[in-house]
Amino acid sequence: MSHEKEKPQILPETLNLIRSSSQFSRREFLLISGVMVVAVSGLEAWGAKETPLIIMDQAKGLVIADPTKCVGCRRCELACTEFNDGKASPTVARIKISRNLNFGPKGLHAGQRGQGSWGNGLVIQNLCNQCPHPVPCANACPNDAIVVSPPTNARVVDPDKCTGCKMCQRACPWEMMSFDSDANKATKCFLCDGNPKCVEACPAGALSYTAWRDLTDKTPPRVIPTAVVSPEKAQTCIDCHKK
Amino acid sequence: MAKPGGWAGKVLRVDLSTGRISTEDTIEKYKDFLGGTGIGYRVIWDEVPTGTKPFDPANKVVFGVGPLAGTGAPCNGRTAVTTLWPTCWPKPLVASGHMGGHFAAELKYAGYDAIIVEGRADRPVWLQIEDGKAEIKDARHLWGQGIRRTTVEINQQMGPEASVAAIGQAGENLVPMSVVINSYSHSAGGIGGVMGSKNLKAIGVRGTGSVRIAGNKEEWERVVKLHLSLLGANNQHVVPNSPQPWAEYYSAGSRWVASTGRQWGAAEPNIETGACNPRDLNKIAYRTNNAAFFLGDSAWKYTVRGNGCTSCPIRCHTVLKVPKVSSKYGIPAMGQNTCAGLMLGRGFFKTFPDGPKGETAIEACMVGIHLADDVGVWENYGQMQRDFQELYYNGTIKNKIGENEFRSYSWDKYEKGDPTFLFELLPRIAAKEGELATALGMGTGYLLERWSIPEQEWQKDQKVAYWKMGHPKHHANEDAGQCGVIINTQYNRDAQCHSHANFTRNGLPIQVQKRLAADIWGSSDAVDAIAAYTPMNIYKAKMAKWSLLRKELHDSLSLCNWMGPWIASPLKERNYRGDDSIESLLYSLATGDKKSREELDTVAERIFLLHRALTIRDMGTKEMRADHDTMPDWVFTDPAGKDAFTQGTNRMDKEDIKLAMDMYYEEMGWDKQTGAPTPSTYKKLGLGDVADELDKRGLLP
Repeated sequence: MSHEKEKPQILPETLNLIRSSSQFSRREFLLISGVMVVAVSGLEAWGAKETPLIIMDQAKGLVIADPTKCVGCRRCELACTEFNDGKASPTVARIKISRNLNFGPKGLHAGQRGQGSWGNGLVIQNLCNQCPHPVPCANACPNDAIVVSPPTNARVVDPDKCTGCKMCQRACPWEMMSFDSDANKATKCFLCDGNPKCVEACPAGALSYTAWRDLTDKTPPRVIPTAVVSPEKAQTCIDCHKK
Repeated sequence: MAKPGGWAGKVLRVDLSTGRISTEDTIEKYKDFLGGTGIGYRVIWDEVPTGTKPFDPANKVVFGVGPLAGTGAPCNGRTAVTTLWPTCWPKPLVASGHMGGHFAAELKYAGYDAIIVEGRADRPVWLQIEDGKAEIKDARHLWGQGIRRTTVEINQQMGPEASVAAIGQAGENLVPMSVVINSYSHSAGGIGGVMGSKNLKAIGVRGTGSVRIAGNKEEWERVVKLHLSLLGANNQHVVPNSPQPWAEYYSAGSRWVASTGRQWGAAEPNIETGACNPRDLNKIAYRTNNAAFFLGDSAWKYTVRGNGCTSCPIRCHTVLKVPKVSSKYGIPAMGQNTCAGLMLGRGFFKTFPDGPKGETAIEACMVGIHLADDVGVWENYGQMQRDFQELYYNGTIKNKIGENEFRSYSWDKYEKGDPTFLFELLPRIAAKEGELATALGMGTGYLLERWSIPEQEWQKDQKVAYWKMGHPKHHANEDAGQCGVIINTQYNRDAQCHSHANFTRNGLPIQVQKRLAADIWGSSDAVDAIAAYTPMNIYKAKMAKWSLLRKELHDSLSLCNWMGPWIASPLKERNYRGDDSIESLLYSLATGDKKSREELDTVAERIFLLHRALTIRDMGTKEMRADHDTMPDWVFTDPAGKDAFTQGTNRMDKEDIKLAMDMYYEEMGWDKQTGAPTPSTYKKLGLGDVADELDKRGLLP
């Protein structure tokens, strides 16, 4: 897997916008940022203290899933890790089936009236949303190790920067950050650089690779994130969002 | 030491008598036996003395998986459970049960290739295995509960991802005809009572580790995709059961039931299976629907989806939703299983008001699944139900159980085909309540003995399908002529071998099968068309040997012998060839231990030979040909009186079968007179120590 190691250069126009308009709405900002390479980063250009990466290029692709077609074989999890990592490991897999397989996303508390093989048979596949701004895993990373990777613009873990602190795991409301304990590094869906192994592996055609769209408000969170965003990054949020 | 490829590297040993838990190095101790049944036979040979009874603390039960379990190699979800077999009659001998589901993979991710359970706990316990740690836990609160409740409570403790293999009340009550079940519907028959005798209610496994692929990952991906491209439907049926636009052939008996117009009718919304062109690897899961195959077309509308084992795209279990059974029988609308487990409830009844594939039959299946998979009753590949029908309708039950007990069953319901009858019968079998239920729960051999019915009575009639030693035929002459007969003589329970039937029943025309057979066994004469058998020849003996070795290979590697081997494929562009070396390709890449097809078959032969040695040792005789490798009389009969080797009969010829056994023993390097392996065969296969031990006991030919 390849990684974008340089922080994206910020465009002066964007910086000017941010600096000139305190009334600048988030919506307007995102609208602009959609057509420009934007990241609030590398602010040395205009003499400010370095402000961390906050806004990333929109992802271009996304794996989506149809739960009614999932047959619970977990070939997607195995393809993800065997063909990318040379080992079979549902725990490391960047698509998550096992945890919903028996009892559904609500687990045992739903009993036999829930989902999964012990409930109504429905297996919910969990996939990375390749979040638009904010990208919780990237924001939570104290080492800015979660970066945009062309050509798909997937959010990926740069293993050279990852120190294995697991803050990203606490940040993702969908629990989509994996941790490879052999490597002591976090890992996440990187869309296999545009040819996702999981999609290819599904024997029921339950997975599709499509153009990115925002599913963050369509996907129920699994947990309440508990990661802390650093004060520097929090300041960046305020810079944009202050009234 | 670096983590090995394929294997997890450790075998867990749990002594329930002392509470001692230890581990052994898999590769150091068991590599020559791969895993699965290989480890199982080795442990029983080394550690369980002759004369041990199945429910003695000295018996051991080995849950074994192999180097391919937990990987992405297709069809690797099976756990082999080896022990002294409680329904093997007249004397318990070694055998194995096989469960699919997710237990095998989870065990590997937890760091183990096998679990050896020995001794007997002084109170009910369950075994918790989690990432390299094992702990014996109190199970008094679970004792008396069904499999479903037990599983849920253990999952509450271990988390929803844990795989739980549990026994029900049948196992607790030491009913020989009882199962252990994991992943809702995946059972291993015969094991329940053995676990119960050890006071072991369940094993819960959770692993977050991985299985390393030793070889190059791109090469692994290529081989896995090759394997996927060769898959057929369940039982490796490689043609569809109805004409399809892509298909040159079709065969009505195929389990490849997908077609345009057929739908998973209880998926929301419905899903059309489509024509399932074999080149579309994203449609493999739709090919098989064993509910529709076994229960008839009306099962389509109840089909939610396919289900099955880790890594297997075939999905031979079908998830059914039959809403009316909730109101009619007070059971959940959801149910799932495959083949014999799916048909368990139906099998007891001779007739149903709306026929054998009508709605009532489906309801009987749902009731059967609900009851048997919870209390944990085993059906012995349908033999329990065939026995039951036979014993009821020939008046034996009425004669044997006393009037009061007889009247306690609603026989009017039974004769009408009312599934509520199962509520009267199945829980009583699990509870050993009354003479009838107790006798049924003992298994056929012991039941016949208890009721003074000579075994020969059961061996006369093809429709009872009984073979020997308390167990039925399993893909015998009806599927592969002499080859099937030979295979059915070899085990201490039903043969469970599918290597031969997965080829002869694959749906390809006989001329294509003959062409493929010539490649594998040296001559097209190895196979005949079904029920158009020709006299024995050496190639049929080679096919029998190959079939048995591949079964043991699969049971030891953790590949599914209900799917493999893969010597035929659905691909016209390959002239329907499969690949006979797929097992060795997968094994070599996963483990890094490069072995050719022939070398791996030699390992399989060693494992099978050890099974033979164990059988000889514990029977205490070398007269295997006369005393063990027997076949029932019905093999040599035909219901319509047809002669052997005529069109339309499965009838075999006695003299020809003698020749078949001669040829088979010769192929195996066994003595023809006794059917006992020769010392040089043991030595050649690396079992010199086993030969020495048998020599001491006078059990070499």
